[in-house]
Amino acid sequence: MIWKIVLFVLMTFVIIAGIAFPIVPQPSAWYQFPLIPGLEEKAKIIFFHVPTAWLSVIAFLMAMIYGIKYLRNQNLDDDAKSNAALQLGMVFCVLATVTGSIWAKFTWGAFWHWDPRETSIFILLLIYGSLFALRTAVENEDKRARLSAVYSIIAFLTVPFFIFIMPRIMTGLHPGSANDDTSGPVVDFKMNRNMQLVFYISLIAFTIFYYWMWSVRYKVLIIKDTLTKKLL
Amino acid sequence: MEGGFLGFLESNAIYVVLFIVLAIWFGIFLFMLNTDKKLNEIMNELKGKSNEK
Repeated sequence: MIWKIVLFVLMTFVIIAGIAFPIVPQPSAWYQFPLIPGLEEKAKIIFFHVPTAWLSVIAFLMAMIYGIKYLRNQNLDDDAKSNAALQLGMVFCVLATVTGSIWAKFTWGAFWHWDPRETSIFILLLIYGSLFALRTAVENEDKRARLSAVYSIIAFLTVPFFIFIMPRIMTGLHPGSANDDTSGPVVDFKMNRNMQLVFYISLIAFTIFYYWMWSVRYKVLIIKDTLTKKLL
Repeated sequence: MEGGFLGFLESNAIYVVLFIVLAIWFGIFLFMLNTDKKLNEIMNELKGKSNEK
C-alpha cells in the first residue's frame, strides 16, 4: 500500500511541476525551468511523452522475459504475464505516438513527418500489432503461448535498433538526431538540475504506475481464464 | 469577485489545464484502487473454492 501512496504523491508532483512551473530565460528560483531554444513552453512534453516511450520499451522487455520463462517452464501464468505486458506496451506505444504527433503539429507544423524516430515507432506498432493478430488466430492455448513467446523474443531484438540506434545515426527533426549539432541531447545538456530531477521523478512515477497496471491486467487475464475453464 | 477569478483563469489558462489533468489523475488513481481491490476479492474467492474441492 505504501508504494501506491508514493506513486500518488510522485505523479501529483510531476503533473503540478510539469504543467505549472514556469520556463524562463535565466532561472533564479528552484521552481523555474530554463528556456530551451526551439522548444520554449513546448519543452514540457518531455515529462509525459518520453516516459510513455520508455514504458513501451520496459513492457516489451518484460514480454520477452516472460516469453523466455514460458519456453523454459511451459507455465501458462508466464504467458498471461507476457500478454499483459504486451498489451500495455502497445497502449504506451500508441500514447507516445499520439502525444508526439500532437506536439509535432505545434512545433514542426504537421502531425507526421516520417522523421526516423516517427518511422521507427510506426514500424514497432506494426511489429507488435501483428503479434496480437497472431495470438487471436491460434485457438490452442499452448501453441498460442509458444508462438507468442518466440515472436516476442524476436520482436524485442528489433527494439534497441528502432528506439536507440536508428534515430541517432540518421538525420531527422527529433533532438538527438545525427544532424542535431546545437548542444547534444536535451536531457544531458539543455535541462537544468531541477528540470532533470522532475524528469527522472516522472520516469520513476510512470514506471511504478506501469507496474500497477500490469499487475491488475495480469489478474484480469488469470480470472478470465479460470472462469472460462470452469464454464466449459 | 467572481469576475476577478474568471479573469485570473482567462489570463492563466495553464491552471485550468492543471486542474483538469489533476482531476483525471485522481479519477484514474481511485479507479485503479477500486479495481485492484475487487480483483483481489475475486481471486481470493476463486482460491477458496478451489481449496474446498
